[in-house]
Amino acid sequence: METIITLNGVTKKFKEMKAVDDVTLTIQKGEIVAILGPNGAGKTTTIMMMLGLLQQSSGTVTLFGSPPKEKKVRERIGTMLQEVSVIDALTVREILQLFRSYYPKSLSIHELVTLTGLNEEDMKKRADKLSGGQKRRLSFALALAGDPDLLFFDEPTVGMDISSRRKFWNTVKELQNKGKTVVFTTHYLQEADDAADRIILFQKGKVIADGTPAQIKSKLSRQSVSFVPGQNALSFEELRSIPAVTEVYQKGDRCYLVSENSDIVVAEIFNRKLDVKDILVESGRLDEAFEQLTAQEGADVIENVNNAV
Amino acid sequence: MKMLITQCKVEIIRILRNPYYVFWSLFMPILFYTLFTKIFNTGIGNQEEWQAHYLMSMTVFSVMGTSIMTLGIRLVEERAKGWSMFMRITPLSDSVYFISKMAGQTFIHVFSIVIIFLAGAIINGVKLSAVEWISSGSWILAASLPFLAIGTLIGNMKKVDTASGISNILYLGFAITGGLWMPIDILPEFIQNITTYLPAYNYGNGAWLLVKGELPEWSNVVILAAYLAVFMILSIYIRKKQEAAVG
Repeated sequence: METIITLNGVTKKFKEMKAVDDVTLTIQKGEIVAILGPNGAGKTTTIMMMLGLLQQSSGTVTLFGSPPKEKKVRERIGTMLQEVSVIDALTVREILQLFRSYYPKSLSIHELVTLTGLNEEDMKKRADKLSGGQKRRLSFALALAGDPDLLFFDEPTVGMDISSRRKFWNTVKELQNKGKTVVFTTHYLQEADDAADRIILFQKGKVIADGTPAQIKSKLSRQSVSFVPGQNALSFEELRSIPAVTEVYQKGDRCYLVSENSDIVVAEIFNRKLDVKDILVESGRLDEAFEQLTAQEGADVIENVNNAV
Repeated sequence: MKMLITQCKVEIIRILRNPYYVFWSLFMPILFYTLFTKIFNTGIGNQEEWQAHYLMSMTVFSVMGTSIMTLGIRLVEERAKGWSMFMRITPLSDSVYFISKMAGQTFIHVFSIVIIFLAGAIINGVKLSAVEWISSGSWILAASLPFLAIGTLIGNMKKVDTASGISNILYLGFAITGGLWMPIDILPEFIQNITTYLPAYNYGNGAWLLVKGELPEWSNVVILAAYLAVFMILSIYIRKKQEAAVG
């Protein structure tokens, strides 16, 4: 495996605020990595440092083994940033030609058009006259112009409709098959889950979880074991004493035991031969758990996730 | 090299497609020229000399405008819209970017000079010797430097609106107080007293003298060079300060 990106103890301070706090990670060739987190978690700042647009306060960032500002690195990366309005007074075709001239190897206009879904009509338009969706496609085409080995997308699908989104992620998968590495930021768990094979979860400038979408989801999710208590029902206190149970509550005629490990809870229920029936194991809704995590009040949940990691 | 040529071409296309450039740097000077040499009777004795003189005024007005307005506002726009940041991630180096901007700008100046000179020759049949055409054209091209420096100074501003407001005021203010729109003798006395120290007068005066078969005065060169130095130092100083604030 070839390491493409290395961040080592990277911290970025704005005034006294730590936007990114001691982040260490590596990204390998061919990975599609989602940097996931709420607004203000440090996702964009991290991308900016990877691109050499922001200088880290401490730590090192290398792309292809070199600092990101080097020309030979720039020749191998392509980027879609948030809210970059494109150069004015030029047509889409002229801008694409211009960008192709920057790179030693470049994709043909034809390839760029097919990959991004721009059409002949768009090519003749002035870039500043494009609609929001067309601008995103142009910006995707600019990222691909130099046939880059490494792609950065900062919130790439903001402003895209569902079919453009699908097309976009299909293209990204195609690029991965060609051996490209892709790093993107998002604040939607769903999107990270669908598109990435690895999720790096950011919260308050720190990496709080890093793994496959399934791993991240299991860390995020809160499982619960519920049952209908029988005649000799146990008190809540007794239920809480079951290992791995973090919370007990009753809803309707069912009693819920919240736990990070439902296997242990179920085993205990049988071991103790508790008088219960109709046992159900459920995992809490992921998006709820994620929202909770990313909300300010979710600080204790973060602790839990941290402990779980 | 391919990069540099494409970049230059793009810069030129962008200026030519800019309606402000076409209006202020080509249309207005030619319109004024026609008005004040053909339509209104200015009552100036030597018509031929006036036509050549005013042709220089208008060409200076045009190139000064492109230097201050087009360059400055464009720089602010590129930064405000995130475009310059985006360029920094491409392999295009700062130096190629800067060189092509300047080369594009120079090409546009030459283009404006040729068009307005041609307009003068066609509208009034202005006849100058080859040396006079070339020397006055070259003067207008070279002495635009202090105004380009003002352009980069304006280019440091944060908002496009402020930049365009201020550059408009400077541009028109310079043009009027420098005697580009009307001869200096017509201007109020207090302006006449200061005009020789202002950049536009010195810019224009070099060209006015050249078409009379004389050389620009030393003071013209010295004053323009001084303005160039001041604006460049200011521009660099502000840039450094802004970078320090960000970093």
